[in-house]
Amino acid sequence: MEGAGIEGVVLMPATLLEVKDLVKYFPVYERGILIKKKVGDVHAVDGVSFDVAKGETMGLVGESGCGKTTAGKAILDLIPKDSGQVLFEGKDVHETFEHGSNEDRKAMRRGMQMVFQNPYGSLDPRMTVFDIISEAFIIHRHVPKSEWKERVYTLLKLVGLEEYHAERYPHEFSGGQRQRISIARALATEPKFIVADEPVSSLDVSVRAQILTLLQSLQQRETISFLYISHDLSSVRQISQRVIVMYLGKIMEYADVDRIFDHPLNPYTVALLSAVPVPDLERKVNKILLAGDVPSPINPPPGCRFNPRCPYATDICKQAEPPLRQLESDHLVACHHAEKLM
Amino acid sequence: MNSKETQYTRRSAGQWAVAWRRFKKNKAGLAGLAIVASFAVLAIYGLLLDPVPARSFGCLYQGCTNLPPFVDSAHPLGTENSGIDVWNEIIHGSAGDLYVGIGATLISVVIGLLVGAAAGYRSGVSGAVLLGLTQIFFVLPVLVIILLFAKIFLFLVAQGLALSLIVLTLGIFGWPLFAFIARGEILRIRELEFVQAAKSLGASGSRTLFRHIVPNLLSPIIVLSSLAVAANIITEVVISFLGFGDPTTSTWGLIIQEGFDHIDSSWWVAFFPGIAVVICVLGFNLLGDGLSDALNPRLRE
Amino acid sequence: MPETVLQVDDLKTYFFTEAGVVRAVDGVSFSLTKGKPLGLVGESGSGKTVTALSVLGVVPRPGKIVSGKILFEGENLLEKTENEMRGFRGKRIGYVSQDPNSSLDPLFTVGNQLSEVVTTHEKMSKEAAREKVVDLLRLVRIAEPETRMRAYPHELSGGMRQRIAIARALASEPDLLIADEPTTNLDVTIQAQVLELLRALQRELDMSLILITHDMGIIAEMAEEVVVLYAGRVAEVARTAEIFAAPRHPYTAALLQAVPRVDRKRPLVPIGGNIPNLITPPSGCRFHPRCAYMIDRCVSEIPPLEAIGGGREVSCHRWKELELRGSS
Repeated sequence: MEGAGIEGVVLMPATLLEVKDLVKYFPVYERGILIKKKVGDVHAVDGVSFDVAKGETMGLVGESGCGKTTAGKAILDLIPKDSGQVLFEGKDVHETFEHGSNEDRKAMRRGMQMVFQNPYGSLDPRMTVFDIISEAFIIHRHVPKSEWKERVYTLLKLVGLEEYHAERYPHEFSGGQRQRISIARALATEPKFIVADEPVSSLDVSVRAQILTLLQSLQQRETISFLYISHDLSSVRQISQRVIVMYLGKIMEYADVDRIFDHPLNPYTVALLSAVPVPDLERKVNKILLAGDVPSPINPPPGCRFNPRCPYATDICKQAEPPLRQLESDHLVACHHAEKLM
Repeated sequence: MNSKETQYTRRSAGQWAVAWRRFKKNKAGLAGLAIVASFAVLAIYGLLLDPVPARSFGCLYQGCTNLPPFVDSAHPLGTENSGIDVWNEIIHGSAGDLYVGIGATLISVVIGLLVGAAAGYRSGVSGAVLLGLTQIFFVLPVLVIILLFAKIFLFLVAQGLALSLIVLTLGIFGWPLFAFIARGEILRIRELEFVQAAKSLGASGSRTLFRHIVPNLLSPIIVLSSLAVAANIITEVVISFLGFGDPTTSTWGLIIQEGFDHIDSSWWVAFFPGIAVVICVLGFNLLGDGLSDALNPRLRE
Repeated sequence: MPETVLQVDDLKTYFFTEAGVVRAVDGVSFSLTKGKPLGLVGESGSGKTVTALSVLGVVPRPGKIVSGKILFEGENLLEKTENEMRGFRGKRIGYVSQDPNSSLDPLFTVGNQLSEVVTTHEKMSKEAAREKVVDLLRLVRIAEPETRMRAYPHELSGGMRQRIAIARALASEPDLLIADEPTTNLDVTIQAQVLELLRALQRELDMSLILITHDMGIIAEMAEEVVVLYAGRVAEVARTAEIFAAPRHPYTAALLQAVPRVDRKRPLVPIGGNIPNLITPPSGCRFHPRCAYMIDRCVSEIPPLEAIGGGREVSCHRWKELELRGSS
């Protein structure tokens, strides 16, 4: 199964980011009197491979505990991974940060940025918007000091804010505006790739569309690639070109956006899609109600991780882990029974 | 965004300005600030302007020893039996006690911040060692050790320096609480998204620590400092009262101790400095509470 | 003649804060017909939760109900004493909050908490209370109720905890259940389970249901009638089918166009601006700074909530002339 996700998919013209068999476990300890005893691992990300093309938005969707945020942070090397490889423009990300020269490290950081979920926690409350955005210039020195002001203003305008906002502090802004500031900060390094971790889920519904269309326009006008991480399938459909569905640390399905939303081949994706309420009375779908809860990622079920909740599960699902296999071009599924859904 | 937006017409105010605005509304906090400021004025007056030197025995020759309070306007709070003026002693004592309280607290804050920051920022062995060190210092019987040190200092060092050595001792043994707070705050702030954002921008470890983490842990440290000043003043009084203080420098503890020997005949000698201690400690505590309300992020909108 | 269970009339609930008076609910009126699940839909600051808390008589300080009427089965709840309110709240009106973590006591087992509720409403033996608790857990489709009774809240998943919270609200067999964003913190597959449970319970127990949400999708699935709230006022009242087919208020229409859909991709039309601050709310129609159809009158004059026939109500000066797109 190694590399299946890479060779299997017809690569888009230029690959910007490649993730190969990424694994990240978090040890779980039980507190003893003196020493901590390890009792298991959270299998947060368990062998995930995919790639992101230049100027593409890749959607990464899943329920809580599926490992999507961990994957995003491990890709940027904000948390150390256990194994696997992440290549950014062909260069090994972790290697560069560990052993690369100072310039290489900084160049790598400049190229990859992150927009965080919580607009209230992701901005330093003691810095003005100007300081927040210009910090990238201090660190990377890619903009001469005389141009800082102008650049900050340009960035503010790009994300839909005004010049006078530069002198204000984060607490004076609404959630949507803070998320714009957060995006401006990410853009200040002139990145090629941005991990956007649930950037709209804590915003009010009437404000979400503003941020989604902003991300969309950045992707198109500035040719920035995004890894858009979300639990909200509707927004994923809106802005992604390709989509990965994760469940308990594993990729369940990986395909072109329309294919995955219109013809899902993994029973989990089918159930997930049918569970989303649609604001339209004319659309009637048969809800597939999944029994039970998402199992704990500490000791995931053997075989297919979805088998205890899956309506199609048979004996093989309890024994063998289904490989991620290609059923149609640009469509990979990890399910023993995917053919039944075709 | 929207040009119609009129939400932000007021001038931009930073976090500290917002905190000050909140603080101004807190009457108890303002009272605390006023008390502390008054004692600071008294201390400065005593140090620079007061014509009567500290521990002046002038009265001994003028025959005005052991005067009760409110009798002689030259000695409003009375005099001690060796002729020392109680009000003058309160004035000079406020300099001594603010020196002890604030000086010792500053030393504690510096050590506590450094140790706490290192313990919080470095996970792994060195962090664990520092945390262990803090815990050991925390459970030491500090007062006994301080008394021991004070005794040694009194023997060893020229007596004029003794008060500074008490400040140093209090400071050196007072830091563990600051280290705990700093470590806890750092562990909390370190996980906040803006710190991760700094990391993903490429900020170095020291930049992240000093530009993003330290400014954000100052609020609880400031609040705790105010309370620590009050606690240090009380400790000074206890040390002096037990006879371990510096007998050459005016402090409230010293005059209370002297007055206590004659409490039946001249109660005012110990009583009025005692009141000064209570008011000053109350002032710092009220100030601390006010600061806590003003700086507490949970109460902020 | 359909029976009106709850009628809220010109309710005003303000919060008297340091920074000023927050007009959280500012003249909200609606009524709930027996057996017809009502959706209260709105964003943060729309006043939907404060409306619910006002009905329950538990507006937190510094909030106060300033004026209005809340008629529950003909009785004005605002004229009741705190003692009398206890006979309504948690007994005839059940409440499920957004966050089951904070509404369940972490120190007691699920069984303990449920039997406490059961016995406060009705004197019964320990055995009978136990049986009632088991029945309640069965009612909310919890498997192995005897085992689950002994669990502490932290040992259960979020979806399970929300089921327990629903069971507790149903313990006194209320006539009305108010569910305030009951699925916001849940995963989408668990949300589907909880919504299905609420729908089934509403039918089985023949109780009235107010469902508070910000999600028009949930409204489509759950509600028969909808009250759309914006910035503390009612924008529009209608039957669910009508609101999706032909919204009458520009806010409702804009919301339907601004929310991405899972079933198809289409261009999003964002609503500009932000949710207004309710200390100094916009004059006239509170939606006017963000409204594409704004005219001078919207700035100067508050649009009344007009009945426009067919049980629909709308508060917009221009509802007659506007042709608004629905969800299609």
